[in-house]
Amino acid sequence: MSQTPRWRRYLRFIRPNVAADVDDEIAFHVTMRVERNIALGLTPEAARADAVARFGDVAAVRDALVAHDARRQATEGRKEYLVDFLQDLRFGLRGLRRAPGFAAAAIITLALGIGANAAIFSVVDAVVLRPLPYAQPDGLVSIGTGAVGELIALTARLRSFAQIGAWVEQTHPVDVGQESLRVEGAAVTTNLLSLLGVAPRLGRGFLVEEGRQGKNTVLLISDGFWREHFGARPDVVGSKILVEGVPFTVVGVMPHDFHFPHATTRYWQPAAIDPANLGYNWAVWDKKIIGRLAPGVTLARAQREVRETWPTLRPLNPLWDPGPAYRQDVAPTLLQDSVIGTSGQLLWTLFGCVLLVLLIGCVNVANLLLARATTRERELAVRAALGGGRGRLVRQLITESLLLAGGFDTTQLIAARITPPERSYRDSTRVNALYDALRERVAAAPGVTSVTVSDKLPIAVPVWGMALRVRGQYEDAKHNLPTIGHFQQVTPGYFRTMRIPIVRGRGFTDADRSGQPLVAIVSQSVAKRYWPNAEALGQQIAPPWDAPWMTVVGIVPDTKQDSLRDTSRTSVYAPWAQSTLRYTAEMWVAARTTGDPSSLASTIRRIVRDLDRTIAVSSVRTMDAVVDESMRKTRFTVLLVGGFAAAALLLGAIGIYGVMSYLVGQRTQEMGIRLALGASAGGVLGLVVGRAARLAALGAALGILAALVATRWLSGLLYGVSATDPVTFVIVPIGFLAIAVLASYVPAHRATRIDPVRALKAE
Amino acid sequence: MPPRQESGELLQGTLGILILKALLPGAAHGYAIARWIEDTTDDVLSIEEGSLYPALRRLEDRRWVTTEWGLSENNRRAKFYTLTTAGRKHLREEAAVWLRYSQAVTRVLRAAPAIA
Repeated sequence: MSQTPRWRRYLRFIRPNVAADVDDEIAFHVTMRVERNIALGLTPEAARADAVARFGDVAAVRDALVAHDARRQATEGRKEYLVDFLQDLRFGLRGLRRAPGFAAAAIITLALGIGANAAIFSVVDAVVLRPLPYAQPDGLVSIGTGAVGELIALTARLRSFAQIGAWVEQTHPVDVGQESLRVEGAAVTTNLLSLLGVAPRLGRGFLVEEGRQGKNTVLLISDGFWREHFGARPDVVGSKILVEGVPFTVVGVMPHDFHFPHATTRYWQPAAIDPANLGYNWAVWDKKIIGRLAPGVTLARAQREVRETWPTLRPLNPLWDPGPAYRQDVAPTLLQDSVIGTSGQLLWTLFGCVLLVLLIGCVNVANLLLARATTRERELAVRAALGGGRGRLVRQLITESLLLAGGFDTTQLIAARITPPERSYRDSTRVNALYDALRERVAAAPGVTSVTVSDKLPIAVPVWGMALRVRGQYEDAKHNLPTIGHFQQVTPGYFRTMRIPIVRGRGFTDADRSGQPLVAIVSQSVAKRYWPNAEALGQQIAPPWDAPWMTVVGIVPDTKQDSLRDTSRTSVYAPWAQSTLRYTAEMWVAARTTGDPSSLASTIRRIVRDLDRTIAVSSVRTMDAVVDESMRKTRFTVLLVGGFAAAALLLGAIGIYGVMSYLVGQRTQEMGIRLALGASAGGVLGLVVGRAARLAALGAALGILAALVATRWLSGLLYGVSATDPVTFVIVPIGFLAIAVLASYVPAHRATRIDPVRALKAE
Repeated sequence: MPPRQESGELLQGTLGILILKALLPGAAHGYAIARWIEDTTDDVLSIEEGSLYPALRRLEDRRWVTTEWGLSENNRRAKFYTLTTAGRKHLREEAAVWLRYSQAVTRVLRAAPAIA
């Protein structure tokens, strides 16, 4: 009666097939009846008809049986599964109790691997895989960084974008009630919020006219700032906040998940754009320009248009000719990619490390199982345990550690950022008087050996490159000017305070004031580049704008400025007292002491407060702390990668030790025979350990080869050391060899100490 | 017979006893059980053979019989039913009840005045 195809019966091999069994049972019954009827003399047709008639309603019975059996299988299947599972579990636990070392190795291995994986994956998921919290984030493109003039020109020319906007980070002293704070914020074009597709949770966004000078004294604040300083009061809209002493009106509060451009950004103010201010618009190249793709435009098309259009703006620069290389390297990317950028790469690397650790863990467990199962595969197991993968993790660990080497002398140095309000310090005489008084009073503080004021602080402040005019070589700003990596204006005592040696010539003195001949100090590579065969002292250089020539009076070494990872910069220094800039919002005071520099912090605060109460003092930190902070992310990486590398090493060691000692343990019987036949204990020991060492050496050689091949792609991620760092490639294999020898020695030694008869009986 | 059973189920219960009795000599498949009942009763109790199987399932649910797949006398794959100890005990009790019941009914029907 079965209409079920025969092949379905084979499903029984996978799981009991209820319907097929019922069909079989009924078919058997009916077939038997048909055969009996035929034997009794009925025609096959009559026999079949009688059989079916006797059986009754075949279909109804079949359905009832199938339903019944399926129900029963469901309940019994669960019971059986649980019983089986508990049985396996008991069996497994018994096995683990018998081999506690193996159990510990396997459990530790898997726990480390799985735990690290879960932790890293959650970070990767949060940072890399989760899209930006903006409307249609895949339409947001980071076009590049440039000047306001370029922003205006690009907005007029680019057709691929529905909207183009820009922002720049800024940090200003902000007065909220009685408190004077330094708050991170951003100046943004008024269209930025609509470009990102974000609206304030309270109040309104910026109006177009608020992008004009004089109209831009409005502010949007972050949800966090609103809660901390305004108690989340809804009537904050309309209230005034002093920014650099100027009253701004709060017009809105942004949603809590709006972190643009950083999680630490607390306020946004409209960037005032004046197309007529050509000097500013083409001199300051710090605006981050972003755009939203026009409907139907692909990223590739927009990238092509930007790459073709931006270099054509070269003649628009009214200040100087940026040269033929101008904007040849623009590389627009999705905002998402540019925001995640290097941390995305870092996280994927970490994820790879974690997977490798898990892999090693799995190999360990597999090896141990293999060694337990068959000793014939011992060579394979040991070789696998020593295999590649570990080498590159360890090398990365060493690589990252090497990075922590220092630049200039940061010990016993303290620095503070001071922010003189522009309204009272527009006049350079007043500014110079302030800095003179500041230096004098800090120098008088106990323990201070030297003090300086500077417009930048190495490591703490992002550096700006600058074009440079050179007398007799590059004089015309309209020509292709060379650029230097770093320009800094300092007061006397800077080089002494930073312990940067004067290689030739002299440092700045108090005599280098306005009205006196303009002077400059250059770093060695500047001197080498422009006057390779002449005396650099006495040569003249100038900024690209219409500024007078400065005479080089001293030469110092190139120093790292941006971070310890930065390559040394070609640098030019000028005395602050001769500055042509009217005003600089923030300055740094730095002092070197004979004692603990952190004890100077309150002294510096008090001195500044005594000089002028309206000057905000912030970031009072020792230089060691500044460097520390700049290395935080690197250290995080070192810690993580190092942790994984350590875990990998540990797992490798456990794995090799486990396999080796197990294999040698297997030979207890053989050693017993040799001892019983008169071999010396030392001879047997040497034989066993020597064999293990040869095996391990072979494994190490294979491991080195594999690592050399595998690390080739990794070289792009390394800095400071070569991908085939010799130290790593020597120490790691030697370490593993030592572990292998130790792992074979301990059980072999134990075996030679026991009674040969017992050794013979050992299993 | 348990009093809650209705007349339709009375036959089922009866069928159950017949099946258990059929299995008393040893394991048997459904067709063999049908043939045994047929032969033993001279086909007087004409049972719809299809109803055997749901009855067997109920007996199995009560753990009075167990099943396993095996080969029939002519080498075909067939499902065999075996009486359990509990099934044997149940058969004894039910048979005793049934015999007392039927004997009582028989006595009543045989009592004077005679029907026939």
